[in-house]
Amino acid sequence: MTETQILIESTLQAIAAGILIGAIYGLMCVGLAMIFGIMRVINFAQGDFMMIGMYAAFFALTLLGLPSFLGPVVGPYVAVLLAAPLLYGFGWLIHRTLIRRVTGIETADLEGEGHYAQLILTLGIALILQNGAMILFGAELISIRTPLSSDAIFVGPFLDGLAVFLNKARLVSACISVVIIVALWWVIKSTTLGKSLRAAADNPEAAIYMGIDVDRSHRTAFALGTAITATAGGLLATNYPFHPFVGLEYVIIMYAGVVLGGIGSVIGAFWGGMAIGLVQQLSTIILPTQLQNATIFVFFLLIVILRPQGFFGRNVERT
Amino acid sequence: MLEIRNLSAGYSEIAVLHDLSVGVEAGQFVSIVGPNGAGKSTLFKTISGTVKPMGGEILFEGENLMKLAPAARPHLGIAHVPEGRQVFSSLTVLENLEMGAITEAGKKNWAQTLEQIYSWLPVLEDRAGQFAGTLSGGEQQMVAIGRGLASSPKLLMLDEPSMGLAPAIADFVFDKLMEIRKDAGLTILLVEQRVAEALQVADKGYVLETGRVVLEGDGETLKADDRVRQAYLGM
Ligand SMILES: Nc1ncnc2c1ncn2[C@@H]1O[C@H](COP(=O)(O)OP(=O)(O)OP(=O)(O)O)[C@@H](O)[C@H]1O
Ligand SMILES: [Mg+2]
Repeated sequence: MTETQILIESTLQAIAAGILIGAIYGLMCVGLAMIFGIMRVINFAQGDFMMIGMYAAFFALTLLGLPSFLGPVVGPYVAVLLAAPLLYGFGWLIHRTLIRRVTGIETADLEGEGHYAQLILTLGIALILQNGAMILFGAELISIRTPLSSDAIFVGPFLDGLAVFLNKARLVSACISVVIIVALWWVIKSTTLGKSLRAAADNPEAAIYMGIDVDRSHRTAFALGTAITATAGGLLATNYPFHPFVGLEYVIIMYAGVVLGGIGSVIGAFWGGMAIGLVQQLSTIILPTQLQNATIFVFFLLIVILRPQGFFGRNVERT
Repeated sequence: MLEIRNLSAGYSEIAVLHDLSVGVEAGQFVSIVGPNGAGKSTLFKTISGTVKPMGGEILFEGENLMKLAPAARPHLGIAHVPEGRQVFSSLTVLENLEMGAITEAGKKNWAQTLEQIYSWLPVLEDRAGQFAGTLSGGEQQMVAIGRGLASSPKLLMLDEPSMGLAPAIADFVFDKLMEIRKDAGLTILLVEQRVAEALQVADKGYVLETGRVVLEGDGETLKADDRVRQAYLGM
């Protein structure tokens, strides 16, 4: 192989890996987009909701003994999907007890529409979840392994012996992510539920005049966002080990993805996450792995300077 | 149909409405006029539940509205077209109308209702796919009115539909309202700064000042009243 061929191959390899991880990041970002992008709630605990989702999937897998009757391949994915409704309930409860006090119609008159209160409240929730998980689960690294985690599909050889391999676990996770996003996108775009969620976020007071229970809509969106990010976390955990503080690594990626995609756009958040996955993987070709995250933020800054409204941002001013 | 008795309401302990009584009979056109800050919008918000009452009662078709959650009230057949339009700016015009139609009555015969709304306000059909936030003020007012009509309400409450519109557009909005009222036989409660027009068409009128009803009567009588002529009609 010539040097150019090696470079082409590693680039293709990075793109393939970037698309797979990007799809999962995309799902993660979409979860935050429901909460931050659509409902305009600043949630610092989003990464920790994801962490809880990872543990929930792990315990669903081990405590229910799923692999013994579903097999080691299907079991973990079923566990991840079981964790989703659990985290929906968790998000619902957190909103019902805490978040609703600092959001929606209650805070329309507060300074910064309650954003300061949200910031402090969710930071507090994040700290409690991180340290609570530390006490309950300990600091050891856990992962949701499947036989697919160390198995790959080889694509090729093409163009004089080039080949790209795709990790099977990531491939499955990426496919599940895409299916969930397409389904969610349809719900938000076309169903009455989705439209009333958007209406309640857009103008809570007017939504009440339509007969929309705004508090419930906000709660639904918050719980959905929690469940979606948690699902992304579970899918990620089939390939990456996690620990109680894993949320910190991802919450920044999530915010970057949502802002890149354009605040308020769910599909944009997906592409934002995808872009981050690609940049992260491509950067490894020329830079040491430790600089991955730095590259993401250089890219982020560039986009924010060149296109402040994000990929899909609209310049429709909200009234 | 709507019976408000001795209502007091306001914002965090400061009363804005004092011991106020207003009645609307089925089929009537009732106008409320009064200076800025009189509490007209506050009255509407109290009816809809986004401002909490401090005393008195509000009955709609005999039912005590105060016992109902704000979001439950539109389902009884009350449509509130708020001051300043308040369209859902990130939703399309059609989606805005659909939001009006999430009440039971609105869902029923939605296709027909939509056609009817389009025939009254053709601009909405032309702009159906456009984001409401990108419309002109007059067009947004049409969206707000159309959205209120979409719920097939029994009572349509309009808070200053002509606010911020050029006189010609305001006239147009007014004419449309009269047309819609004639076609649909709606009961209408209107708050308006255009006192002459509002009283001209009203079966009954109320003059609100600093949260109190200072005058009431049928539209013609009010319009001829010296105090109204001096204070509001500049005569
Ligand atoms: N959210 C609020 N918090 C505190 N006070 C308020 C609030 N909204 C209105 N007010 C006060 O209540 C009083 C009545 O206001 P309201 O909006 O009902 O008047 P209005 O008759 O609708 O006036 P306009 O013709 O200007 O629309 C005003 O003194 C106003 O300052
Ligand atoms: Mg007003």
